[in-house]
Amino acid sequence: MFRFVLRRLLEMIPVLWVIVTATFFMIRFVPGGPFTAEKAVTPEVLRNLEAHYGLDRPLSRQYLDYLGNLLHGNLGPSFKYANRTVNEIIADKLPVSLELGLLSLAVALSLGLTLGILAAIRRNTGIDYLCSSVSMTGICVPTFVLGPLLVLVFAIHLGWVNASGWYGPADRVLPCLTLGCVYAAYIARLTRGGMLEVLGQDFIRTARAKGASETRVVLRHALRGGLLPVVSFLGPAIAGILTGSFVIETIFQIPGLGREFVNSAFNRDYTLVLGTVILYAALIVVLNLVVDVVQVWLNPKLKFE
Amino acid sequence: MAKASTPLSLLCLWCFLWPLIPACSKHAADPPVQVLRISQRNEPGNLDPARATLPDDFFIIRALGEGLVSPAPHGGPPRPAAAERWDTSADGLTYTFHLRRNATWSNGEPVTAQDFVSSYRRVLTPATAAPKAALFFLVRGAEDFYRGRLAAFAQVGFRAPDEHTLIVTLARPAAHFLAYAASGPWIPVNPRIVARHGRNWTRPEHHVGNGPFTLAEWRPGQRIVVQKRAGYWDAGAVKVDAIHFLAFDNGDAEDRAYRAGQLDVTMAVPYTKLAGYAAAQPSSLQHSPLHETRYLAFNTTRPPLNDVRVRRALALTLDRSALVNQVLQGGLTVARHYVPPGLGGFTPIARLAEDAAEARRLLNEAGYPGGAGFPVLELTGWTQTTVLEAVQAMWKKQLGLSVRIAVREARVHLAALQQGDYDIGFMTAIPDVADPADLLKDLHSGAPANYPQWRDVEFDRLLTLAGATDAPVERLAFLAAAEARLTTECPVAPLYFNARNYLLQPAVQGWHEDAIWTRDYKQVSLHRP
Repeated sequence: MFRFVLRRLLEMIPVLWVIVTATFFMIRFVPGGPFTAEKAVTPEVLRNLEAHYGLDRPLSRQYLDYLGNLLHGNLGPSFKYANRTVNEIIADKLPVSLELGLLSLAVALSLGLTLGILAAIRRNTGIDYLCSSVSMTGICVPTFVLGPLLVLVFAIHLGWVNASGWYGPADRVLPCLTLGCVYAAYIARLTRGGMLEVLGQDFIRTARAKGASETRVVLRHALRGGLLPVVSFLGPAIAGILTGSFVIETIFQIPGLGREFVNSAFNRDYTLVLGTVILYAALIVVLNLVVDVVQVWLNPKLKFE
Repeated sequence: MAKASTPLSLLCLWCFLWPLIPACSKHAADPPVQVLRISQRNEPGNLDPARATLPDDFFIIRALGEGLVSPAPHGGPPRPAAAERWDTSADGLTYTFHLRRNATWSNGEPVTAQDFVSSYRRVLTPATAAPKAALFFLVRGAEDFYRGRLAAFAQVGFRAPDEHTLIVTLARPAAHFLAYAASGPWIPVNPRIVARHGRNWTRPEHHVGNGPFTLAEWRPGQRIVVQKRAGYWDAGAVKVDAIHFLAFDNGDAEDRAYRAGQLDVTMAVPYTKLAGYAAAQPSSLQHSPLHETRYLAFNTTRPPLNDVRVRRALALTLDRSALVNQVLQGGLTVARHYVPPGLGGFTPIARLAEDAAEARRLLNEAGYPGGAGFPVLELTGWTQTTVLEAVQAMWKKQLGLSVRIAVREARVHLAALQQGDYDIGFMTAIPDVADPADLLKDLHSGAPANYPQWRDVEFDRLLTLAGATDAPVERLAFLAAAEARLTTECPVAPLYFNARNYLLQPAVQGWHEDAIWTRDYKQVSLHRP
């Protein structure tokens, strides 16, 4: 296993290099620059600004400098935020996105697994139909509809929570529910399918015959096998939750990295775009690795090759 | 199948309910009584008066610092701010500002005339790359120093004979000089703090200003908090304890926060909700006209737009009343000329007619009878697609011309305009100061914001004459004559003067923002029930 993980981590380096290089040149070829404004600045001002950020040097030189700084973990200064570096911005915003993502994931897992398990052990009853309908609805309703709807009810009409912001614990509820519900819906459907397959197998009947309680049968014997499809889904899903929270962050005005990433592209904040792309790429590669490891652990039939 | 046991049921219940627990701990939605909460739609990139570019940046900068004079909230000549009074020499060339003796920086140091001189030297130093340095060019030697033609700053017209006297010498008499001195980039910085912290001086832990508030917190993407400063010379007049500038990216999120009672002042009501607010909460809905012109720029270097008859035909065909009343909502004003009326006392002397028959005649004369043979031009913009579509339909109906619409991302559009790589572009003109010359100079031959790439000897001559005129009335007359050139030569087709529609909680009293986005927070008070 150690060799497997090490090899995958080493493979990450060329992948990241390709991504950095492609992003570096692609963003430079987009029309407009970090200093393009509604009122065009004079050529002198533009020259001074470009000189300050080293944008006046040849592109190849800038690229090599960037790679050199990157090896030292230095992602450079932000073009939009004059008094902040990209490292600082990421250090500031990533924890917010992680908190949002992890809480949403907890919501998604607890709601999704519960709905899925309930539907499976009460197959073809009212409970099953209810759980399946709820999860189908969850899949169909996009976050940008669900979010404002929850705000309308819980913030504006009932006044229980704030409509936006990220200050107290209460501000976490609506965003995490909104983001969590969509993934919960997928998880519920996958869990139901996985559980049904496992519950019909011989070893479950054996467990019941040996007098194991229903709670034990479900949670200990059936769930492990039933989770396999969920785990394969979770790899990309976690990456999606952590990186794709842009919509939620915009609806609820959460100062996370997703919003910063999209705005940085609009602002032509070259270094911030690159910094976030590198981070996200690394995150996805690592998460895929984690999923592979977990799958082997859950399913004895698989092996690290 | 066996019945689910009680532990399993309880576990299920827990899984559904735990996310709601924090909701029980909701903190009070209402902040302490005297906190004003304002929506900040553009996160400021910089709180340095010398380097900031957007009016939105100055919303915060003006809370943290004040220049020699401040724009009057209801128009009229600027009011005393850091300078308590000033004398003008008989020849109009020299302004002697007498600074307040009790004015201090937020670190306790006195505000001195030398601080102002150092701040202005910093703006004019090329390495600072101050985008608005041109707002200082009325001062003798300022432009030469900025362009490197003058090495010694001592020869620039700023002098501090003692701690509380600042003498500004102009290149030539200019009655409108105070309007420039009231602009945001004239707000001073503490030179010692800037020298110590460099670009980081605007962080809350380092920031020092001379304004009514101090920078207490800056959480990017979330909020900027400024607090009332006890040491401010006029602290008695400041009625709110703190201002929270809350970051919002879009009108819908802002609108929801307002309805949930989290915001006192919004930036803009979404167009789709204007009618609803006008009917349901007319007292909250505010309307204020802006000195901002939305116009179409014609690329005058490209045929057939290099033909003035074609440009005139296109400009004369537009039914601006329909545009303002039917296509757009929100009480905008039709623009049949370029400079917003009232900007620095401006009155136009010529207006574009709306005459489709004349337009057809001109197009015929230019060699495109009934639009025959006219190439399909591209009409580009970055927002307000409905305006572009209406314009497209008007040209089709009245002139038989087809144009292609392309809506691009803002910076792609701006870059194309700046490089002259477009046919017809939708654009906006916002002045930095209350002076018509500030807008008109953008259309001077070779000016960086001359998006039509237009060169007109007569227009340039009139602007030069206005710049060389001492008498204010005569100067405005030259500027109006220059503007009239725009209605005959049509490098641009003005469409409408913009306005701001926003929501204001009834508890907020004394809120005022002028037509060039200047706010005065000192007058604001809160009367929450």
